[in-house]
Amino acid sequence: MSGASANLRGGWALVKATWASWMEHRGFFYLVAFSWMIPLLIYMFIWSTAAGEGTVGGLTRGDLASYYVVLILVNQLTFSTNNWTVGDAIRYGRFNFLLLRPLSPVYDALASEVAVKVVFMTFALPLAAILALLLRARFDLSLANSLAFLPALLLAWALRWLWGYWLALLSFWATRADALLSLQESLIFLLAGQVAPVVLLPGPMQAAATILPFRYMVSFPVEILTGQLSSSDLGIGFALQVGWLFVALALFVVLWRAGLRRYSAVGG
Amino acid sequence: MSEPHIVVRDLSKTYRVPEREAGLLASLRGLFQRSYRDVEAVRGVTFDVAPGEMVGFIGPNGAGKTTTLKMLSGLLYPTAGEACVLGFSPWERRPDYLRQISMVMGNKSQMLWDIPPLDTFRVLGEIYHVPSAQAQRTVDELVALLEMEDLLTKPVRNLSLGERMKCELVAGLLHRPQVLFLDEPTLGLDVSMQGRLRRFLAEYNRQRDVTVILTSHYMADVVALCPRVILIHHGQLLYDGELQGLAQRLAPFKLIRVALRRPEWDPEGLPPGVDIVESENGRVTLRVGRAQAPALTAHLLNTLPVADLAVEDPPIEAVIDQVYQEGVS
Repeated sequence: MSGASANLRGGWALVKATWASWMEHRGFFYLVAFSWMIPLLIYMFIWSTAAGEGTVGGLTRGDLASYYVVLILVNQLTFSTNNWTVGDAIRYGRFNFLLLRPLSPVYDALASEVAVKVVFMTFALPLAAILALLLRARFDLSLANSLAFLPALLLAWALRWLWGYWLALLSFWATRADALLSLQESLIFLLAGQVAPVVLLPGPMQAAATILPFRYMVSFPVEILTGQLSSSDLGIGFALQVGWLFVALALFVVLWRAGLRRYSAVGG
Repeated sequence: MSEPHIVVRDLSKTYRVPEREAGLLASLRGLFQRSYRDVEAVRGVTFDVAPGEMVGFIGPNGAGKTTTLKMLSGLLYPTAGEACVLGFSPWERRPDYLRQISMVMGNKSQMLWDIPPLDTFRVLGEIYHVPSAQAQRTVDELVALLEMEDLLTKPVRNLSLGERMKCELVAGLLHRPQVLFLDEPTLGLDVSMQGRLRRFLAEYNRQRDVTVILTSHYMADVVALCPRVILIHHGQLLYDGELQGLAQRLAPFKLIRVALRRPEWDPEGLPPGVDIVESENGRVTLRVGRAQAPALTAHLLNTLPVADLAVEDPPIEAVIDQVYQEGVS
């Protein structure tokens, strides 16, 4: 990444231009964003029906509605569309242009990350607000939980992005590394509170969800905001989230360096 | 004389490429045992390029031209040898180096697809830390030279290939690079657009004194722009010198064109070793060894009713075609 990484001015200009270029396709992205919501809405209705007038795993209908509404937003805020295009950039030579500039290619990825989030939120925020009203979501926000939510959300985004990025970097060696990204998404679906809130998962799955990184990419901040976690859960959760982030970062750095060496050995 | 901008010594690049036969069985075999083949793309190439010089880099497909340019622009590590451009080792890709060079590729685009070119230019200006007044001035200048005012506000995806190529040039020149690598900049363009780009490049080189290496399969590009050519074939440097000298060195024959006052003449009267390339209605073209040309000219003038006679080097395309197909004798 060398000295090229310190080019903040160029990086910010790239964010703005990428945003403008993504806004050109907002109709497409709104449809994508909507399609991501559908499975979550389905599971929300299933669990709400299961809860009926009572509770399921201690969660009422109102709790489940607020959980899934926040989950919809967090899922969109943490999903990295950029990781799906890294492989193509490497295969089709667009990566050459990124390397020719006095700016680390990581900025290009960060630019689309920031840009796409803004585009998605122009759609997802109003829709989530409408859903929350319609479904009578019950928000019981404490100041402590709200304050803990923000760093957890930021860390969740960083973890999900970097984890996907190191998988995508395998494209330097294998032609279709994006199959691994699909696997990551499936595991997120199962273990990161989408098919069911983690508290409702059966024992072994709940244990796996607690230890593996996927929960910390999506549902952990949601559980914090909706008050599902005790303070000891919170501490352990943050420790694991930060720990996995370091693992992802280390893998990313190692693969990035080795990948660039290989790229400049065999060409694009 | 000033120091050369580009110094290349014994530069080599060998790729190791996976190899497998076509078909399902072979692809299954490839899962367990991969076989590789070494491809020597560039073999011991040595040359210098002086500041402000425009050099044509020619050779058939797969000769190693693009690989060499990629090494010089820092995209590839060489297997052996050295290169020094503007005092930098290109493959270290130091920001100070990247800010002074540019590579424009005719078959790839660095424009942001969905927004107008002006936006890409702004981003590049920021990435290269060009002060905005200077960036504006450079864009205005280039836009005027390329006659492309009306393209600036259309999304790039709506531009034609030629229009896009103009944008690529502005994008590549915005930071006023001192060294410019042009890889097939006229690829796929129509004749008049090619001509306009050539005039632009010649004018730009004259004004700014940039050092240019140009690869092209259109000899007209090279003839129009590059007093010096480097011919590379099978990764090896075959010729480095004036374009004129290339024909003399590589084509050991001359063409003699004769117009006769009467259409009928007797080919039997020609001395041995002379080929008739064309003979129609008293217009005859003969091919003869360089050394023989003066004697044959005298012979023709003495024996035939010559109305007009011209001795020429063969067209550069024909020479190049001969080298590409047969190598150098």
